[in-house]
Amino acid sequence: MSRFATALAVLNDMKAAGVVQEYAVAGAMAIVFWSEPVPTYDLDVLVWLPPSFSSIVTLSGIYQWLAARGYRADAEHVIVEQLPVQFLPAHNALADEALRTAATLDYQGVAVRVVRPEHLIALYLEAGARTPRRRERAALLAESPHVDQQRLRDLLERHGLEF
Amino acid sequence: MSERSAAQPRPSAELLERLREGKAQLRARRCNLSLPEKVEAVIELQRACLPLLARQRPLRPWERVWELEP
Repeated sequence: MSRFATALAVLNDMKAAGVVQEYAVAGAMAIVFWSEPVPTYDLDVLVWLPPSFSSIVTLSGIYQWLAARGYRADAEHVIVEQLPVQFLPAHNALADEALRTAATLDYQGVAVRVVRPEHLIALYLEAGARTPRRRERAALLAESPHVDQQRLRDLLERHGLEF
Repeated sequence: MSERSAAQPRPSAELLERLREGKAQLRARRCNLSLPEKVEAVIELQRACLPLLARQRPLRPWERVWELEP
C-alpha cells in the first residue's frame, strides 16, 4: 500500500477506535478527488469528535492517539506518513450535513470518506471564510460533472449562500 | 501608443475558440486521471509552486513537497 493510501487508512483506524465519531476529507484534496489536481500542501479532514462532558472542543484525543502511533504534531497539523493533516471539528449545521452525506470512495483499496462536491462548494462560500481563492475553487468545482446542479442550488438556498 | 496597439495583429475568434477548447480538453484529461495520478500531479504542482511562493513570502512549516509515493 502506498504511503498516501496508508495515511487515508489511518483515518479509518481513528474512526474504528472511536477517536473520531466520523470523518470526511474536505478542502483542496477533496477537490482533487472530484475534479482536477490543484496545488495544496495539506489534507483537511472534517471530523465529529466523540461526545464529551466538557463544552470546550479539544483535539488532544486525536493528537494523543496519533502520537502513540509515532505521528508527531507540527503546529496545527499532524504529520501522518509524511502528509500534513489538519483536523477540523464540524463548526455548524452545514459542516454536519457535509459529514453526514460524504461519499465513500476507493483509493488503492482503501475506502475513504470525501465531502461531496456540492457541500464543498457551499463550505467554500460560507460568509466567514469567503476569500477570492476560495470563491475561485468553488467556481472550479461547480463546473465538475460530478456536481448535481439542482442539489447545489437547493443546498445554497437552504444555507443562504451564493457565489 | 494607441496607434501601435491598433496595428498589432489580433488572433481571430476561431483561433481564440480553439485555444479555449484546448484548455478545456486539458482540464477534462486532468479530471479523468486516476486518483493516484492526481496525487502525483498535486506533488508535481507542489514542486513547481513552492519555489515561486518562497520568492513572495516565507513558507509555512507545512508548505513543502510531500515526500511520499502516491
